Order: sequence, then C-alpha cells, then structure tokens
Amino acid sequence: MSLLDRLAGRAPVPVFACIGPGMQAVTEHALLSPRLRRAASPREAAVLLRAGAIPERAAAAFGRVHDQLPHPRAVLRWDGQGDPADVITDAWVDLLNGADSDTDRRSDEPPNPWEGKGDHGQGGEGMMGGVPYGRPMAMTGDDIRDGLQLDAYTATVGPFAPMLPPGLTLEITLQGDVIISTSVTAPPFPQGDEASAPHLCAARLLRLLGLNAAAARVARGSSPRALWTRGAIPAGLGEAAKGEDVRARLSAWLAGQAGPYQAPRIGSMLPGLEWHEAMLVLNSYAPDALHRACAEEEEAA
Amino acid sequence: MTLVAVCVGAVGLALALSFALTGRDSRSTWPQAAPYLGGGEAQTHAWQRFHFRAYTMTLVFIAFEMEMMFMYPWAVVFVHEGLKAMAEMGMFLAILSIGILYGWREGVFRWQ
Repeated sequence: MSLLDRLAGRAPVPVFACIGPGMQAVTEHALLSPRLRRAASPREAAVLLRAGAIPERAAAAFGRVHDQLPHPRAVLRWDGQGDPADVITDAWVDLLNGADSDTDRRSDEPPNPWEGKGDHGQGGEGMMGGVPYGRPMAMTGDDIRDGLQLDAYTATVGPFAPMLPPGLTLEITLQGDVIISTSVTAPPFPQGDEASAPHLCAARLLRLLGLNAAAARVARGSSPRALWTRGAIPAGLGEAAKGEDVRARLSAWLAGQAGPYQAPRIGSMLPGLEWHEAMLVLNSYAPDALHRACAEEEEAA
Repeated sequence: MTLVAVCVGAVGLALALSFALTGRDSRSTWPQAAPYLGGGEAQTHAWQRFHFRAYTMTLVFIAFEMEMMFMYPWAVVFVHEGLKAMAEMGMFLAILSIGILYGWREGVFRWQ
C-alpha cells in the first residue's frame, strides 16, 4: 500500500447515492457523516450506495450511473438500517488495498455504430447525417427568447440526478442553458413525510447554491450560519403568487414551516428558465408536492 | 544552459508524476465516456451551436477599454495637433458609441 493510498484511506470516502423509494431522508442523514463525502457526480465517487430497492423501471439507469464511476469502484446495498459509514469505509480501504473493482454492467459499445462509416469517418452521409461517437448531430430549433434558431439539445435527466428528487426522469430540451421544453418521463419515487421536512428541503436548496457546510448544518437541525443565503437566489424567481418566490419558500423552510402543499406542473414550471434557475425552482417545492403534481399530470394525460 | 536544464527537468518531473499518479487502468469504456445525466441518455451529440450571450459584454469591453487604449497616445499629441486631433477622436468616439447604443438595445446595461 503506497503512501498516497494510505492518505486516501484516511480522507472522507466519496460516495454517490442512488436512492430508492422511501429512502431519501435516511440516506441524506447517513451521508452527513464526516467520514463520507457526498459526490456531486459518479465521476468523482469511489463507492456507489444503492439505497433501498431500486424499481425495475430504473434498473437500466442504475446500470448507466454504475458504469460512470471510475475504477476502482465498489457497489453497496443498504436497506436503511444502521449507519452505513463503517461498511463504506471498509469497502474503500479494501479497494485501495487492491480489491477487485466492480466491472461494467453495460456492454462496451457506442450508442450507434459509427467507426469507419462515411466519407470522413463521421458515421453517415453528409455534413449533419453522421453519428460521430455514436450520437446524431443536434438540429436547429425555435429559440423562445429572441428567435435566433440554434441547435436544440434533448436529453433525459434522472432518475438519479442529485438535483432532482430521486426517481424523477425529465426529458429536457435545451438551447445553450435555457430550457425550451420539459416533459415528465417518470414521476419521483414515493418518499415518506420525513423527506419533505422543512430542514431537509432547505438543506437541498442550500446544497444547490454550493453552501455545502451550511446545508449540512441545516440538515442536522441547527441554524445555517451562512450570511446572505436568500440573496444568492434571484429575487422573484419561480413566483407562484405575489411574494411567493423561491426566496420566500427558503425563508419559510429555514423558519421551520412545512413547504407549499401544491406544486405547479413541471411541464409549465421550467421552460424559459436557465438551467440553474430551473433547478432552484424545482427544489423550492418539497418532494411530496412534486410527486403529487406529477401524479395529477399523469391522470390528466 | 541552466535554464534549459531546469525546463527539461520540470517537464520530465511533470511527465513522471502524471504517469506515476495515473490509475491502474485508465482506459475509459463507452458506458464510462457517456455524458452524465443521472441515469438519463442524451439523444443528440453535444457538438452544437448555441447562443453566446456574453457577446454583448465583449462589445462593451471593446467600446470602453479599447477606446481608452487609443486615448492615451492621443492625449500626448493632442496639444500639438489641436483641432484636427479633436475631430479625429470625435469621429472615433462616434463610431464606438454606435456599438454602445447597440449594446444598450440588447439589454447589456440592465442590472439582473
């Protein structure tokens, strides 16, 4: 074991959590441990925590996230009982000692075959017809701000994106960082009432603002001890009614009041916002309100 | 000679360190190289044209900063040249102010 490995073994373990139904609150509490570091993306994680039973519809997505962890990596299941920090730390030290890294779950192939195809190796005919690196080129679409037609990028995000409630899968079309349209592909997993507790909701919003230490303090139930948290959110963002914007909802949560019961439909809430604004607006509603909004949207459709 | 030795040494050290710190198997597979979307998939390639909205800021930078760059030497010769230099600078500023007006119309001075 080299000196670097020994030092790494003492540092907090970078963990990425894939959260199943009813596991959001316990997982968020477990990841507050000083021995763990909540990784923002699987690319900087060493351990993938599979919290709870991942439903069948998210199994392929779990495989994709799993394969994005760099080697050496380990996957751990956790059912919400006890503190997972010991098991995670042991797995991390084992990896540093040369334990076998978890192998890929998906096949090592590009999304579409492209290599060696086309006149210039672009995987197809013509300037825009190819699939370089396996994906077709983006085509122009309407811009909702100034009518300048530029390329629209469509992707599904979720169900394990840390800025979305676990389970929520959105199909999002972007121009640059502006959201042109969204539709819900899959609703969030049902979570217990604990996940919508005001302090956990406020902690999620603070984490999005990059105030990780303040978020951890709020999630533990103490005051954020951060200056000017409200000011970091644009005024009037996500205004549902006069004076009911993201700032107001954060203030209410920090004051210990449970969030609004109703959330607007996601398909009408996000278009026109830039990505960071959209994520703040989405996270200014509690998971149960979003779950209800998605269920109503599904019924109406 | 010393400089060359130091440069070669620094480059050699950087290369040696980067090889020493590279992981055991750093070849990334197709699933690993996919864009990270929390389990989602991208429909199109990320090579795309998008609106570079900072261009208005660039315009204002050129209008105000580059203008000053030309005004320093102008200020030195202004006393000698007199009215002619005054007229030339007036023309230059008039052209630049069109850019500022355009930036204004694009909303660059709006505080957000």
